[in-house]
Amino acid sequence: MMLVLLGFAALPTLWVLILSLREQSAIFEPIWESPLAITLENFFSISRSDFPRALMNSFITAGGSTALAMLVGVPAGFALAKSRVSGKFIASWILLLLRMAPPVGFVIPLFLLYVNAGLIDTYTGLIVAYMTLTLPLIVWSMWNSFSQVPDELIEAAIMDGASLTKAFLLVALPAARPGAVAAAILGFLISWNDFFYALIISRSSTSTAPVAVMNFISFDSVDWGSIAVASMALTLPILPLMAIANRYIVQTLSGAVKG
Amino acid sequence: MIVPAVLAVGLFAIVPLAGMLALSFSDYHLIRGTNWKYGFHNFARLISDQRLLNSIYVMAVLSIFGVAAQVVIGTAVAVGLNKIVGKWRLGRVLFLLPYAVPHVAVALIWLSLFTPTLSPINAFFNLFGITVPAFLTTQNGAMFAIVVADTWTNFPFTMLIILAALQGISTELEEAAALDGATRVNTFIFITLPLLVPALLMVTLFRFIDSLKHFPMIFVITKGGPGRSTQATNFYAYVQTFQNSNVAYGAAIAVFLFVFAAVISFYVARLNQRVSS
Repeated sequence: MMLVLLGFAALPTLWVLILSLREQSAIFEPIWESPLAITLENFFSISRSDFPRALMNSFITAGGSTALAMLVGVPAGFALAKSRVSGKFIASWILLLLRMAPPVGFVIPLFLLYVNAGLIDTYTGLIVAYMTLTLPLIVWSMWNSFSQVPDELIEAAIMDGASLTKAFLLVALPAARPGAVAAAILGFLISWNDFFYALIISRSSTSTAPVAVMNFISFDSVDWGSIAVASMALTLPILPLMAIANRYIVQTLSGAVKG
Repeated sequence: MIVPAVLAVGLFAIVPLAGMLALSFSDYHLIRGTNWKYGFHNFARLISDQRLLNSIYVMAVLSIFGVAAQVVIGTAVAVGLNKIVGKWRLGRVLFLLPYAVPHVAVALIWLSLFTPTLSPINAFFNLFGITVPAFLTTQNGAMFAIVVADTWTNFPFTMLIILAALQGISTELEEAAALDGATRVNTFIFITLPLLVPALLMVTLFRFIDSLKHFPMIFVITKGGPGRSTQATNFYAYVQTFQNSNVAYGAAIAVFLFVFAAVISFYVARLNQRVSS
């Protein structure tokens, strides 16, 4: 049973590896008929294409939106965790709602706004669009992280004469650092993986990697070798992040549910 | 500190949503522009739109079968992995890998596996003289393809959450049941499973709400086809807005989907509150 499931999980990955190494002429032959028709040509040809640039665009936009959302979202999470205002249930519902809202609802008004403001096909446009994804996620998970920092710690710092800002920067933030790292990683991943926003908001000069892969599919042919290499290039850079974030994903997504 | 926080979230989230709501009552067209007619005409059209009805059907099929498969497979793998100790624990990585692959790549991988001339699955069955049907040429087959791709990349998520929940369950209960002569299946059904209910419920809701947003899988694997048969609601809103240029109507579909998500997330938020208190 476990072996069948392991096959389901792992064999498609093996298939991508095979596909990436196949010679163009042998790609439609079963691997057992021409096992030696193997080449690195797909890797070389993709490095000469526009795809590396698209990967760079992905790094810039995902990194930019994560950095900005952290700058705003971390203090916001702190404020929500430690203030004693009512209406927190509403806030948590709104944050949840924003994470669950259909992206098409965000994209339509943003698209019209961008057409008028000249933000189509710009880094700024994409970064701002991604903040609609990253900000609710980061506020939500920082809210969770900061509520696990004991109130006494912050009160003690204030008692010792620290301002609220100082207490936040020097006491609460260091205590919530693992959560902040996880929030940043999750924010980066969600932007990196995005296809929908980039499809509509970016054009050739800022097109991110997930959209640029589609260029290997033309009207009458599909360049499967390049698609396989591109799929690997899309996944490999985020594997280390996934490895770090792995246990936090469980905490933020299952733990965060406890607000 | 509260004020900038509220302002920031408002700016990046509430403003586009307000825009969507305003558009849904307008007659804005990407090419024709607008005559500034406001009213309920888009919503009136929604009610009698056969394509919307089909899109809801597709969305329901994709969500229900996809989420069910992810919960069942994720739980099965989690239960299996929970028993494995020692160096084989590293095998977990193999199960987690699909979760790391971006959705466009997932869709392209499964598109290749569902392309009869290319797929090693077809080639393998051909060895035995069996012809695998071309899934992408029928509505049910195409929906099946999307569900498979979606399940492949998302079951590790349910697995992670269920595994975490399993590790929180003390083994004493299960051992006591075993001592009393319960079979392993009975122990799982009557002892372990009830303790997993909160985690299962949460994971199901999270995956369900996420599955309402299906886009890359449909865009890449079926393009909404054959014909228009696999245009789920989110995709249908995209088609109306950006292919038919009917922005106002697309926004109305988005509002419909949004209200649906709002109701569900309200219950999720309340569930959280109850679990935490």
